[in-house]
Amino acid sequence: MDLLRVHDYLWEIPRFGEMRVPGRIYASERMINELRDDPALTQVANVACLPGIVGYSLAMPDIHWGYGFPIGGVAAIDAEEGVVSPGGVGYDINCGVRLIRTRLRFADIGDRIAQIADALYDAIPAGVGSEGAIPGLEIPELKRVLRDGANWAKAQGYATAADLEHTEENGRFAGADPDAVTERALLRGRRQLGTLGSGNHFLECSRIDEIYDGEVASALGLELGQVNVLIHSGSRGLGHQTCDDHLRIIGAAMARYGIHLPDRQLAAVPIKSPEGRAYLGAMMAAANFAWCNRQIMMNLAERAFMQTLAIGPKDLGFALIYDVCHNIAKFEEHVVDDKRRLLCVHRKGATRAFGPGHPSIPAAVRDLGQPVLIPGDMGRYSFLLVGQARAMRETFGSSCHGAGRVMSRARAKREAGNRDLYSELAARGVTVRARGRASVAEEMPAAYKDVAEVVEVMEAAGVSRKVARLKPFAVIKG
Amino acid sequence: MTQNEDATLFREFEHTGDLGIELAAPTRAELFRRAAIALASLLVERARVTAIEQREIIVEAEADLDLMHDLLTELLALFTVEGFIWRDASVKEEADRALRVTLRGEPFDPTRHVFRGEIKAVTYHQLVVENSADGWRSRVIFDV
Repeated sequence: MDLLRVHDYLWEIPRFGEMRVPGRIYASERMINELRDDPALTQVANVACLPGIVGYSLAMPDIHWGYGFPIGGVAAIDAEEGVVSPGGVGYDINCGVRLIRTRLRFADIGDRIAQIADALYDAIPAGVGSEGAIPGLEIPELKRVLRDGANWAKAQGYATAADLEHTEENGRFAGADPDAVTERALLRGRRQLGTLGSGNHFLECSRIDEIYDGEVASALGLELGQVNVLIHSGSRGLGHQTCDDHLRIIGAAMARYGIHLPDRQLAAVPIKSPEGRAYLGAMMAAANFAWCNRQIMMNLAERAFMQTLAIGPKDLGFALIYDVCHNIAKFEEHVVDDKRRLLCVHRKGATRAFGPGHPSIPAAVRDLGQPVLIPGDMGRYSFLLVGQARAMRETFGSSCHGAGRVMSRARAKREAGNRDLYSELAARGVTVRARGRASVAEEMPAAYKDVAEVVEVMEAAGVSRKVARLKPFAVIKG
Repeated sequence: MTQNEDATLFREFEHTGDLGIELAAPTRAELFRRAAIALASLLVERARVTAIEQREIIVEAEADLDLMHDLLTELLALFTVEGFIWRDASVKEEADRALRVTLRGEPFDPTRHVFRGEIKAVTYHQLVVENSADGWRSRVIFDV
C-alpha cells in the first residue's frame, strides 16, 4: 500500500477508490515497515469509506488486523449526516481498563504475593460455567444495571461517589435503552456481572517502577514503589450478543439507505435512522453493564486484599485513578476546519485522551489532562499517560489502548510449545494465576509489541504523555 | 478422539487479532457438521465430553454464508446461554435451505471439561463458504 510520511511518527494513506478521506497511522518507521503488507492497512482504507467520516480514518500505533475496523482504529463521523457502525465499536462493547491505587508499598507485601494472587483468583470469577460473585440477576434487575451502569453498583454498596467521578461518563450513559437489548443478550449476561472473562482480559497487580512526570504523578497520588491494581474487562456475553444482534439488523437494512461498503463487518446505517438509534441505545446499555462489571470487580479485589493482608479500607486505601473504555462510539464536540461539530467518535481499540482543561475530565485532575491507561503484555509493564492538547486537534482526543498483538494465537501456542510459561513469568517476577495453560500461551508477552514502543510513538507525536510505568508482579487471567 | 483427529476436521490459520479456522468437506452437510464440531473443540477439550444428551437446532438462511454465521452463532448461544457442550453433531439438509443440526453432548461442567477460552462472536469478516470441484470449503474468523 502507498504510504506518505507526514512526520517521523505519522503516515498517510492517500485517498483511492471509495475512500472519502485519507487514512493516517501513528507509527515509528520500524513499525510501519512491518505493517506495509498487513491487512490492517486495508482496513484503515475501508473505514475511510464510511459515509460522514470527517478528517481522517485514524489508526494508533498498536494497530493490528481486526474484523472490519482495524484494532487501534478511530473514526469520527458527522452526527447529523453520518453513520454508526457496530464494527467500529466491536463485540466487546466498552471493553476498558481501570487503574486503582493503594496505600501499599511493594516492599511491604513482597513476601505475600502468592497469597494475594490466590485470593484475587478465588474472588474474581472468569464467568464461564460458574456463577459470578453477583448471583444471576432476574431480567428486570439486570435491566436496571443496563439503565444505571456503575450507579447500580453504588446503590448496592460496591462503589463510592469518588469511584463514579473517576469513571469515563461517570460510569453511565444516560441514553441507554435496555429495551433495545435482546432477550438472548440479557440471558448471556445475567450471570456474568462481576466476572473477568478470558482471552486478553486480566487483572494485574503492579508496582510503580518509573515516574516520568513527578508533578502529574503526585497530583494523581502516585509514587515509586506503590502498589496498583489494573482491571481489563468489558461487557461480557451481553455486549457480544448485543453487537451481533444489531449487526444482523444493520447488515440487512443498510442497502435501503444506499450504503455499500467493502467489508460486511463494517455494516453501518445513518445515526438518525431507527436502526442506528436502536443500536446506539443498546450499545450504551451494554456499556453501562461493562462499567458496572469493572466497578464490582474493583470491590471484589479490594475485599480480597483486605482479607489477605488483614487490614481495613483506610490502610489499603483503594482509590480509583480512572476508568476508560477503549471499544465505544461516543458523541463529542470537536473542532473541524475551525468549526465546532458534533461527531460520533468510534474508538475500536483506542482510548479517549482528552487534553488538559476538558470539562469531561474529573475536576480534581482536569488541569493535568485525562488519565490514559495502557495495559501491557502481563510480563513487561503497563503505562499511565495523560492526554495532550494536540490530541484534540489531531486524533479527536484519542490515543492507543495497549501493546497490540504481533503474533496470532495459533502461532503463540506453537511457539509456547512445551515451555513452562508460568515459571518463565515467575522468573521475571510475575506470579500468574490462570484457568488454562492455553490462555497463558496465547497471551504470552512475546505475542505482543513492546508497549513501551507504542507509548513512545504517542508521546513523540504529542498525543499523550507518559506519567508512570507499572511493573506487574501478579496477574489473574480467566 | 484426539486433537489430531480434530486437525483433520479443521485448521487454525494465522490471524493477528482473533481466531480463524479453515474447513473443507466433500459435501455441504459435512462442511456444516465439521464447523459445529470445530466450535466445540475451540471451546473445550472435546474428548472429555460425553454424549449423554441430545439437542436439536434448526437454522435457516438464504445464503450459505449466512447459514454458517447463524449456525455457529446459535451454537455459541447453546453453550453460553444454556451451558450445553457437544461431542458430536449430525446435519440434515431440509427444504428451503434450512439445516437440522443434532448435537450430542452434556451440560458443561468446568471441573471436568477443560475450557479452552471464550469466543465472543462469529464475525462476517472475510467469511467464506464455497463449493468447487475439490469440494466444499469455509473460512471463519471468531472474535475472541
